[in-house]
Amino acid sequence: MTLLECRGVTKAFGSLVALKEVDLALEEGETLGIIGPNGAGKSTLFNAIAGLLPLTAGDVHYRGRRISGLPTHAVCRLGIAKTFQIPQLFPRLTVLENVMIGALYGGGEGLGKARGAAADWLGFVGLADRGGLPAATLTVSERRRLDLARVLATGATVLLLDENMAGLTQKEMEAALTLLRAVRERGKSLVVIEHVMRAIVGIADRVLVLNYGEKIAEGHPHEVMQDPTVIKAYLGEAYA
Amino acid sequence: MARRVELSWGLFALLVLAILLALPLGAGPYAIRLAAVIFMWAALAGSWNLLAGYAGAVDLGPVVYHGIGAFGTAALMMRAGLPFLVSVALAGGVAAAIAFVIGTPTLRLRGAYFAIGTLALAESAKQLALAWDRLTGIPLTGGSAGISLPLSAGYLPFYYLMLTVMACVTLTALWLERSKFGYGLRAIGENDRLAEASGVDIHALKRRVYMASALFIAWTGGIEGYWLSYINAAEAFGTAITFQMVVMALLGGLGTPFGPLLGAAFLTLASEFLGTRFVYHYLIGIGLIIVIIPLFMPAGLAGLVRLVRRERPLTA
Ligand SMILES: Nc1ncnc2c1ncn2[C@@H]1O[C@H](COP(=O)(O)OP(=O)(O)O)[C@@H](O)[C@H]1O
Ligand SMILES: [Mg+2]
Repeated sequence: MTLLECRGVTKAFGSLVALKEVDLALEEGETLGIIGPNGAGKSTLFNAIAGLLPLTAGDVHYRGRRISGLPTHAVCRLGIAKTFQIPQLFPRLTVLENVMIGALYGGGEGLGKARGAAADWLGFVGLADRGGLPAATLTVSERRRLDLARVLATGATVLLLDENMAGLTQKEMEAALTLLRAVRERGKSLVVIEHVMRAIVGIADRVLVLNYGEKIAEGHPHEVMQDPTVIKAYLGEAYA
Repeated sequence: MARRVELSWGLFALLVLAILLALPLGAGPYAIRLAAVIFMWAALAGSWNLLAGYAGAVDLGPVVYHGIGAFGTAALMMRAGLPFLVSVALAGGVAAAIAFVIGTPTLRLRGAYFAIGTLALAESAKQLALAWDRLTGIPLTGGSAGISLPLSAGYLPFYYLMLTVMACVTLTALWLERSKFGYGLRAIGENDRLAEASGVDIHALKRRVYMASALFIAWTGGIEGYWLSYINAAEAFGTAITFQMVVMALLGGLGTPFGPLLGAAFLTLASEFLGTRFVYHYLIGIGLIIVIIPLFMPAGLAGLVRLVRRERPLTA
């Protein structure tokens, strides 16, 4: 079953067209990778789906229902939640409370249940021992895991992960990939923006390539990476 | 650990409340009047703190609801012939309803835009109130001359009324410290985009707390007007009141339940003992305090108390 569908999604910032008629479909249980050079419109696509940016044209559907135009919090409560390319947090709340916000409002839980769920998800992402610290004290890689835990706590079925593995060391990346596979085993469907090819190949069932706001390729990760248009977009004319 | 701290705070608050309830038995009229003034400012500063301290929205027009409370109460008493307490209660309801209408568009403004928007709004409200009788032909505010209310009965009822509103405001703040609603507000105050993306309906939550703060401010204004038996629009809608609310809340400690009370007590007592003697020095002193507090005590007087008690680090 198709969970999430974008039809002709277009987003212009003034004269800059950041997304041009992008179509996308995410099946239940699937992991879709999104790659593309810097400024290709990947984060904009996530913001458009999550309701953080109004669309210029096109629309987004979730489980057959049109969700474009809904406010961000409503999209989250329906079951689509995103992490941020620059990991975001509530700096003066504790790490546990950060995750609780997701459970309280995204998941609609009461305080007791939210606290329990938040503790579980913190354990799941490996931050159990950080729960009582102010979130502002976390390192960048810990912040990315906190962002993930918060998104999981909302109970969303579709997770939009924006470069959740950026800036990680080799070892941290392996751990992050293992974590994402565990997330998938919990029945989540993922859309993953990633710069590092190896990360994408390691997790995605299918890959979509954006360049200057346009979809230039889509398919199995290995096929897509041999596609001359993709290579050109990434490395320039000489390598095609 | 956290529970014990909370419990001791609760017991402490109850003890203070008991003392305050019994205070008129032992203290003279001067002290009681002074205490009532402190409670009044604590209620006002505390109401401002509900929105600014928890949801992070800096409202520079809260005095609008003070004026609405004062003139609303007067109108209901004198035009509709309602008893004082009924009039105050209803005026609070009117203020909350107006806050709903005003808050719906303005609370969508962020940061400095909200501050400037509400400041402009308060100024317009003052001009409207001053011109009201002339414009509408319905006598309500008495223009720049103001209006007199029926003489009130003594000072003791006002002590208890201000104590009640102050207690309502403080209890609301205490509730915010531990409720789901309070977590939502604090999330908004810390990072509104992230709160939204985590499922928090930020506009609805902010509007609710804005309405609550309008209600408490209007009650305070209504009680004050009857107490003084005279109100005029230039003062009741004046920025000086907003200014004091903000300074007291900042001084006491933004986003803390007892901070506004500390700030109100400190500034009221300071102006009582210094102000009457050295009016100009007093103003300079207040100016200095306003500059110094954010620089050296970002968490205000409550932060200082907390530091001494070592509940959590200041930088948390
Ligand atoms: N809020 C915004 N206002 C104006 N331009 C924007 C905004 N967000 C993104 N852009 C522009 O849209 C293009 C796509 O950006 P983005 O989606 O962040 O790319 P990516 O995530 O693929 O690196 C860039 O040229 C960027 O400068
Ligand atoms: Mg990006």
